[in-house]
Amino acid sequence: MDGAKATPGRTAGPYVSAAVLRLAILTLLPGLPDLLTGRVEISTPVTSFKRLQEGLFLYNHNVSPYDGGVYHQAPLFLPLFSLLPSFSSFPIFTYLLYIAVDLLSANALWRIADSGEAGSSALFSSPRREKRWSGFVIAALFLFNPFTVATCIGRSTSVFTTCAILHAIAKAVSGAPFGAMVALSFASYLSMYPLLLLPPLILLCYDRQRSERATKSGLKFAATCLSLVAGVLAVLFQMSYLVTGSWEFLRSTYGVQLTLSDLTPNVGLWWYFFIEMFDSFRSFFLAVFWLHLSSYVGGLTVRIRRQPLVVLTLLLGIFAIFKPYPSISDTSLFLAMVPLYRHVFPLMRHTFVIAAVIMYATFLGPAFYHLWIYAGSGNANFFYAITLVWGLGQSLLVCDLMFAVLRDEWEVERPEMVGKEIRQI
Amino acid sequence: MPNVRGFGIPRAGSYINRLPLFTRGVLAAIVLFEALCLQRWWDVRAWGALVPEEIEFATLYRTNTYPFIHLNVFHLVFNLLALTPMVERFENEYGTLTSLALFLGPFSTFPAFLYVGMEKWVFGLNTAVMGASIWFFLLAGIEAIRTYRANPRLVIAGQSIPTWTTPLAILLAIAVLVPSSSGFGHLCGLVVGYMCGLGYLKYLAPPEWALRWIEKKLNLLGRLPHYVSVDQKTYGRFGVLPLSNLTPAPVVSAGLVGMPYEFIGSDSWLILVIASALRLRRDPRILKLPPYLSLLCVLVGVAWLFLLPLNEYSRRTYISENALLPGQVHTYFSGSDQNVFRAYKHEVDALVGKTNTERNDKLESIVKGFGLKTARQNFTYQAAGHFYSGENLYAILQAPRGDATEAIVLVAAWENVKHEINRKGIPLALTLLRYFKRWSLWSKDIILLLTPDSIAGPQAWVDAYHDAHDPFRVSSLPLKSGLLQGAIAIDYAQEGRFESVHIVYDGVNGQLPNLDLINSVVNIAGGQMGIGVALQEMWRHNDGYKDRLRTMLRGMLKQGLGLPSGPHSSFIPYHVDAVTLQPFGDGWQDEMAIGRVIEGTFRSLNNLLEHLHQSFFFYLLMHRERFVSIGTYLPSAMLVAANFTIMAIALWVKSGQPEDESATSTVRTDTIPAPAVERDLFLPLGVVTFIQSLSIVPLYLFNHAPESMLTPLFATFTLLNILLPPLLSHLLTQSSAPTLQQYHLIKSFSLLLLGMFLSSLATLNFSLALIVGVLASPLSLVRPSRSSATRAVTTLLLNPISPPAVLLAAAAYWGTDLTSVLREAAVGWHVCGTYSPVVVWCVWWPAWLAGSVVVLGRTADGDEGKVKTA
Repeated sequence: MDGAKATPGRTAGPYVSAAVLRLAILTLLPGLPDLLTGRVEISTPVTSFKRLQEGLFLYNHNVSPYDGGVYHQAPLFLPLFSLLPSFSSFPIFTYLLYIAVDLLSANALWRIADSGEAGSSALFSSPRREKRWSGFVIAALFLFNPFTVATCIGRSTSVFTTCAILHAIAKAVSGAPFGAMVALSFASYLSMYPLLLLPPLILLCYDRQRSERATKSGLKFAATCLSLVAGVLAVLFQMSYLVTGSWEFLRSTYGVQLTLSDLTPNVGLWWYFFIEMFDSFRSFFLAVFWLHLSSYVGGLTVRIRRQPLVVLTLLLGIFAIFKPYPSISDTSLFLAMVPLYRHVFPLMRHTFVIAAVIMYATFLGPAFYHLWIYAGSGNANFFYAITLVWGLGQSLLVCDLMFAVLRDEWEVERPEMVGKEIRQI
Repeated sequence: MPNVRGFGIPRAGSYINRLPLFTRGVLAAIVLFEALCLQRWWDVRAWGALVPEEIEFATLYRTNTYPFIHLNVFHLVFNLLALTPMVERFENEYGTLTSLALFLGPFSTFPAFLYVGMEKWVFGLNTAVMGASIWFFLLAGIEAIRTYRANPRLVIAGQSIPTWTTPLAILLAIAVLVPSSSGFGHLCGLVVGYMCGLGYLKYLAPPEWALRWIEKKLNLLGRLPHYVSVDQKTYGRFGVLPLSNLTPAPVVSAGLVGMPYEFIGSDSWLILVIASALRLRRDPRILKLPPYLSLLCVLVGVAWLFLLPLNEYSRRTYISENALLPGQVHTYFSGSDQNVFRAYKHEVDALVGKTNTERNDKLESIVKGFGLKTARQNFTYQAAGHFYSGENLYAILQAPRGDATEAIVLVAAWENVKHEINRKGIPLALTLLRYFKRWSLWSKDIILLLTPDSIAGPQAWVDAYHDAHDPFRVSSLPLKSGLLQGAIAIDYAQEGRFESVHIVYDGVNGQLPNLDLINSVVNIAGGQMGIGVALQEMWRHNDGYKDRLRTMLRGMLKQGLGLPSGPHSSFIPYHVDAVTLQPFGDGWQDEMAIGRVIEGTFRSLNNLLEHLHQSFFFYLLMHRERFVSIGTYLPSAMLVAANFTIMAIALWVKSGQPEDESATSTVRTDTIPAPAVERDLFLPLGVVTFIQSLSIVPLYLFNHAPESMLTPLFATFTLLNILLPPLLSHLLTQSSAPTLQQYHLIKSFSLLLLGMFLSSLATLNFSLALIVGVLASPLSLVRPSRSSATRAVTTLLLNPISPPAVLLAAAAYWGTDLTSVLREAAVGWHVCGTYSPVVVWCVWWPAWLAGSVVVLGRTADGDEGKVKTA
């Protein structure tokens, strides 16, 4: 409970320095934000700030923001950003909003870390839980992760989703199921895929209920949570309907994610596959890809029932690889959660390889994209190959973390096997 | 066959002492039977010989006994001498039990039945046979098949003989030379031997699990002396002879030692391979390997480079894009155009010494006189404390047959890169434009670009053409045409006639134009006009290895520097293929000839249906008609980059191992591999991050200092650079006393970054990656040392390969002024966006600094050790 006891000065340290760093980059390097906004690694069709501005322009001129097929983000962003002073004349307010969102995410992460949920959940206590990093370190690792900084500078709207997801988890571990469900509804409203996090999140809420008002029946609890999420989503949809005046937004936001109608390259695995796909197989493979993405939820939730936070972390990693429109923002969210498992790091086997693969992909990705788009001496296969490597690096991390967590559980069950070599099959 | 050369009494004695059990048994039995023959009252020979007529059910024992019985002592001795090594070898390979079962069983009975059958029913004879020579031929047959598999043919006097026939030759020789020998009996043994060798009789061998069970139950290995276990070769079953499966055999024997479990069945070898690979992984010797491996990578990478000029590795150039059709049209630029040229030459000569605006006024009036639209563009760049400003003039000749969607550019700079005035190039460009105007065949617009200098002017124009300019420094273009398809620059500063034409093709940051463009110019100039072509300032080129290598290395050096080499350089980053043509030498070609070359090239470019894309963008030219493509040369840069990654991984693994016995207090059992030691990552990460961020300082300084300051600044920096590693090392030791593990980690991270940057860079600028990689390669081999003398020597050796030292040495070697080098780098950085300074200061220099700090690093343990010894 390092962070709880920390002095205000110490608490404020990483927040202030992170905010200063971001402000400095945004103001001192004026060309960089627009450069990063244009990068496919940061901005996807469903999170791009440029597209948001386009939607905002249309919205402010009383045209449906979804006309023209550029804007694919949630409608409630529009009133939020129109409340801010115009970006072109006062960009500082937009910057401050994005910085604030990052700091809020870090704050939620800090609370998750200080709860100790990662080391000892309601049903399982790791024998290694003493070895962990404080919320201070974990928040700092998130705030100063280059991927997080780049996402913030690139003003991708995925930071809002990140913030909502982290708050949902933070609420859940602090025994506030209501807040958790509302936050997750917001995340799902913004990006849809966080809805898949619902089963482990409900379990986490259930495990961490405050004893004075705990619901014993799991089914009843789940039903309450589900109806709460449904209710909040219904309210959000209704508000969106009022804002845009039609239900068109459902097709333009969630429909695009479901049908992958925008094939702009990104760091994920879908775009190339669906560019190459014959139209007659498209719907089948869309179903397969989505089924694949969602199939992890059930299995992991059941298998690692005793540690729902692990399930959430692993799912975030899997989404960062297999989502239709992933970006480095999703990776930064996953990488923010991974340090919570400091206690199982010694059990991981390929940390160096994973770090090397991810870093190689980070450098080679832009180089190959340059060869393809600007130099004209490469082609799309160059970039796709490197996104495969990127996906490989992340999936190695997911597998290794899963191995370490399972091994940690297993060593509690079978103390005689501690330190012996085992093989994962 | 045993080696006979080193035969001697002691060897023979030791050989006999080492004979395995079954062989001894067989030899003893044979001798015993011979001894039995000495007595009179029991005719052993009659009892045991294989007589075809006598074979019935009750006398089947004869099929087993006949090999033990011999006709006489000579027969016995010869057979024993021949047989002993063969049986011994067989037994050592397959085990005592197997040998016992086979020799008493199938090896005796099968030849016997074959012989009896043939003798009795086919030949109708009844010759009795006996003697162990049947085994000899049987084993020789197996051996021959084995040899045949490894070594199928034997060449004697030009005749190629299959090796499996050698026993047949022996058989024939014996049948002819030795009286009363049964050639047919031997043949039967040989046939069975061949079949065994071919693997047909493997099914008759006793099941291995049974032998194993017997062996285990009776503990034969423990009880019997000279016993050869079945396990000796799990693999050594019939038909699956070790020679035809060379690879798994040694692995099996290595893997089996001390394996706690048994494998049954022939699939077990896969598991064994995996098991031995896992065992190998933990072998401490593996960790000794990476330095050699990485050294090998560097050496192979560099050697590879020197192979490239050979005919086997390079290729002849060829035109890939069929639409180009270079040299297929007749060129008409001559005759009366020479008078026009002379007139313009006078006008241009009159302009020498005037200001840029005055020149442009005059030139614009000339171009306007052709009836073309003209425009001007101002630009101002600031670099190294100087302002590079000027005014570009350009004119667009609209294509009579085009729709203004594509254009070709003809560039003539007032000054070339050496600041010589382009006295003939400008009038030639004007004449050409006037001449082009008369033709109606152009399907692409032709833009004439007249710039005041060779670097900044074209850069400003191309940037503005693609709207990628900074409007505060470069003004926008008032007049534009279509997509640029190609550009040719003329740099004709010398007065008088010329001999050959020099093609300059290096772009900014080592990017190159499509090879088809260069090939077209070579084809038109060399093939059609008969003008020689030179590359990379190789004024004389004999197409030998040396000249090729020199051309290639010069090209690589230019590519690595990444500086603009002419007016064409700025076009290439925008994917506009461009070259500069530079007439040189003292010959009889006049300016009309180079005009015709340009005309021909423009006609070729005019033919293009799409952007040049067919041919290579990554290549090294070593002669005008010889090149290597990326697939051939990239491995060398990748190998050099890989050496860093290998060392980084090795150091990471090494850092995870306990340093030595005294360092780890806990005693571990040997059976369990030591788990990786916890690594302390914060300090190494911090140090590497700090050193990397330090690199911004030189990058900023050298790109923003005014020219007068550059040399003093560089001198100061070089001196500081010598002092910096000891200083940093001192600070590091004082503040946190890093352990050896942390030094390993610092080096590992630094090398990982270096390898990563270089392999990314190799895809963009191969030469730069290779040059930096080779110069930095010693960094992967240095290591912290306990003795201060070694530390000092290594530091001394590292200093000459530090980036500032290398820059100094290079400037001295090529005799260029250091200030001008630094100024050009700064200009390249500010005007053209050259990234070589970033690579030098932010990739190479931090890696060097980290390496030097590691070399100087004194560990806490090392100091303790010194205190103890003192």
